[in-house]
Amino acid sequence: MSTLEQTVSTLWGRPGRTFLTALGTALGIATIVALLAVVGGVRRTAGNLVNLGPSELGLFQADAADPTTSILSTTLITQLDQTPGIAAATPLVLLVGDLPQAPAAIVFGAAPHGYLAGGLVFSTGRPYRSPNEIVLGDALAKQLHITLGRSLAIDHRQLRVVGIYHNGIAYQDAGAFIPLATAQAISGRQGEATTIVVKLDSSTRPAAARRTIARRFPGILVISDAQQATRAGVSGQLISQFGLVIVVIALVIGGIGVMNTMLMAVIERRSEFALLSAVGFSGRQIAGRVLVESTLTTIIGAAFGLVLGVLGAQLLVDAIGAQTFVSPQVTAWDLGRGLLVGVVLGVLGGVYPAWRAAHVSPARVLAQH
Amino acid sequence: MAGAKVTVEHVSRAYGEALVLTDVSFVVEPGELIALTGPSGSGKTTLLQLIGSLDRPTEGRILVDDVSVGELSHPAEYRRSTVGFVFQLHYLLPALSAQENVALPLAASRVPRHERAERAVELLEQVGLAGRARARPAELSGGERQRVAIARALAGRPRLLLADEPTGSLDTAASRNVWELLSTLRDRGGMTVIVASHDLTLVEHTDRSLSLLDGRMRAPDQDRLEPEGIA
Repeated sequence: MSTLEQTVSTLWGRPGRTFLTALGTALGIATIVALLAVVGGVRRTAGNLVNLGPSELGLFQADAADPTTSILSTTLITQLDQTPGIAAATPLVLLVGDLPQAPAAIVFGAAPHGYLAGGLVFSTGRPYRSPNEIVLGDALAKQLHITLGRSLAIDHRQLRVVGIYHNGIAYQDAGAFIPLATAQAISGRQGEATTIVVKLDSSTRPAAARRTIARRFPGILVISDAQQATRAGVSGQLISQFGLVIVVIALVIGGIGVMNTMLMAVIERRSEFALLSAVGFSGRQIAGRVLVESTLTTIIGAAFGLVLGVLGAQLLVDAIGAQTFVSPQVTAWDLGRGLLVGVVLGVLGGVYPAWRAAHVSPARVLAQH
Repeated sequence: MAGAKVTVEHVSRAYGEALVLTDVSFVVEPGELIALTGPSGSGKTTLLQLIGSLDRPTEGRILVDDVSVGELSHPAEYRRSTVGFVFQLHYLLPALSAQENVALPLAASRVPRHERAERAVELLEQVGLAGRARARPAELSGGERQRVAIARALAGRPRLLLADEPTGSLDTAASRNVWELLSTLRDRGGMTVIVASHDLTLVEHTDRSLSLLDGRMRAPDQDRLEPEGIA
């Protein structure tokens, strides 16, 4: 019988303790996986706020709490247009929470034929042409049961629905587009934009343009791909850091839990370890057996935790009412990290009990019995 | 395989202020079967533990052949290769079968799996438990468990077998069987056997006996003179 088989046999022989230890680990891992999945979803949403092409850059206020609260002056447009390598600069306003019937929906203020709005594919109706017109994503239209020709109030301003689009991006299909000037009027920020999208000349490299803009316009964060959009917001960074903190806390608490349980097991089984020592097992071999046992227990727990975490992520999003924005994103890397945390928990939690087991005095323990 | 020579030279062992063994000296020749007698608390177990390197003497030294066991840097290696232990309680691991328990010391020596299994079956046959290889300790009688423990002690082909009250928890018939088994195994294998026991009626199976009282060696005939002093 190998060490692994003996460990399995030992764990199987104590189902209650094995279950409880594994359960503690499973809950910790589930929390980590669920948070990682939600954070991943939030990142993807943030990344999708600006769908940048290969020759496009997104400009945000550097110290904004999150991308939607960034404020930039549209006077930058002129200066940007005069910057070498830039073909065009387009302002974009994001309104969040201004639709009372659908508070989670984002309303985009954009020029009708400019960035984002120009790329919408209409299933019915047409793009907006006047300040009091609005186009809806099909998901929002369905949610609000609104058809063409009806009016929708945004901040006491009645806007007529002239088109319904679908472009496959969840938060855009669950949102709406209005003219830039209308969005600026509603937000009370004439002459301001949330972000400015810069289109580069075909001969300009994005990295070089980023450096040039960052140098010429201090206080502006320049991103060149959707993933970097998460950097645009302090909130995004906080979410990332929060996820890291949760992982560390789970490691510490889970490690202490596993250590406590394994320590109890070692104390209960002192005579077993004393016997192993008496029949010739070295301290290292005994410690190895305890470590294998604790690691195996936490891996079993981690396996359950991964399943719980995947299920829990959706429940978490539903619970905080962010299902419109955030679709939990469970990646293989998230699952791998969950499993890795399980192994780390097993090893960290097993180190001290293993040391104790390796130093059980056979003379003292066997004599006591 | 020849048994080991055991030389105990002026050994003392103290735990704090309590002196458990005081200036104990004797020699056991290779292949001898020795009874170490004395009442409970006389130091028999401590002496066996010192010989088996489970503990170290405070003073004096113990040589097993030419090796000073109190100064071993890797006592586990010595326990694997030279010594076999039998305790009053069998200490069989409940989750393992008789065969797996017997093979346990061989796992410490990293003996290949199939060799372990073969050797364990062979040893169970030697102790008369050929048909009980798959049984768990809970399914065995007290005498059978102790036989499994003896088989386990023999797994590493030890040259020195140390048995601490191996019949202490057995009835008279089972005790006699265990003594006869130890005697037979010694005759067959040529190992040195030291058995600690306070049961003087079974000393007849041994070559000679050594007696301890309050941690000191007694004269060889004192047991017969003072039987009431033995618990």
